[in-house]
Amino acid sequence: MSFLRTGVRPVVQAAKATSYRSKVPANTYATLREIESRLKSIKNIEKITNTMKIVASTKLSRAQRAMFESRAYGETSDEIFKKAETAASSEGNKLIIVSSSDKGLCGGIHSQISKAVRAKLALEPEADLVILGDKAKIQLARTYASNIVLSFNQVGKEIPTFAEAQTVADQIFKLGKTYDSIEIFYNKFKSGISFEPTSVPAYTEESLKSSPNFSAYDIEEDLAQDLTEFALANAIYWALAEGHACEQSARRSAMDNASKNAGDMIGKYSILYNRTRQAVITNELVDIITGASSLQ
Amino acid sequence: MSALRLVARSALRSRPLAAPWRGSSRGYADVPSDKIRLNLTLPHLTVYQDVDVVQVNLPATTGDLGVLANHVPTVEQLRPGVVDVVEESGSTKHFFVSGGFAVVQPGSLLSINAIEAHPIEDFSADAVRAQLAEAQKNATSGSEIDQVEAKIELEVLEALASVAK
Repeated sequence: MSFLRTGVRPVVQAAKATSYRSKVPANTYATLREIESRLKSIKNIEKITNTMKIVASTKLSRAQRAMFESRAYGETSDEIFKKAETAASSEGNKLIIVSSSDKGLCGGIHSQISKAVRAKLALEPEADLVILGDKAKIQLARTYASNIVLSFNQVGKEIPTFAEAQTVADQIFKLGKTYDSIEIFYNKFKSGISFEPTSVPAYTEESLKSSPNFSAYDIEEDLAQDLTEFALANAIYWALAEGHACEQSARRSAMDNASKNAGDMIGKYSILYNRTRQAVITNELVDIITGASSLQ
Repeated sequence: MSALRLVARSALRSRPLAAPWRGSSRGYADVPSDKIRLNLTLPHLTVYQDVDVVQVNLPATTGDLGVLANHVPTVEQLRPGVVDVVEESGSTKHFFVSGGFAVVQPGSLLSINAIEAHPIEDFSADAVRAQLAEAQKNATSGSEIDQVEAKIELEVLEALASVAK
């Protein structure tokens, strides 16, 4: 039986080692200090996440107003392409513009949009990427670094301005490459608690000129290019404004959940702390009384 | 239209009326045949949304034009200038616009995307003059980009100077 016992003992010892760690900590004074410091840090975290939630709520109301205005603006800009029945071409150079931001702690915003873009890139691996915002850049650079032609940061701090959208459009045109189809990926604001990664096409001069109803319009020769460039800036602005509103609302729910979780943990740890404190006192009393009674 | 400020090179052009476009209905009420539906939107503000108006005068790069009901579908780029909107009630509102595009859609719908548009009453002539002096200084010094930007600023301010009170 001895070999059996030697075989069994190491396993039992290993099991004992792990189960020791997962048991409730021994009731010592040092552990009481640990619990107290953990409790303090969780309370601080709860204050911080609460403040972030309030800030995000205020920013959300402003961002939503800007988003509604930008929707009206973007839809007006889109009207001619709808009426002319412009269709994006499926061949040629493709450009994907991704609207994201630099800051995190906003739930699944950046990972959802990156997922949608990755799904698109799986179908069109040669497409060029223009990324607005560091978070999406980090995610997409892992697998599609060679597709990135332009990236912008300092995006998403404030409500987007048209000047930012114009700068982005300008830099795209400065690249000098003519694209046959452009798609803008952004998070569409569906409600205060839900958003959806969506893409809208931005039409190019050729697509507009070859639209079925384009001949209905009386337009000067060189205006088509200016119009499509302007429309691209308008679409980018719309995507940025909507993405910003989605981000604030996602951040608000994420911080709300974090505060609730922190609150739960505070409750749990407070109870543990009090129990531990009382156990420490009881142990000290037992020591004293045992010592005193042993003297008698 | 004495309120319309004409810049030297423009003349009021009127376009021939086209037959009303009976395209596919898009679900909203049809525009009454003597009005034009106006969408005047800015990035940060919507000035008019689906409002039926009588006439809109636009400062286009090709010249000033007045848009009435059933205008031929057109695409025009706007230069800095005053857009007059004659509303159904008969009153006219004047907005100074910095630039943008105006598209007359089939179906008597006018879509204007402008970057900035403000009622001309909101401008102060003194502020305009001060900025004009500043821009004139920049137009002759600085890098090429700065000079071009200053020239664009000058164009807007000069148009504004002629309308600001």
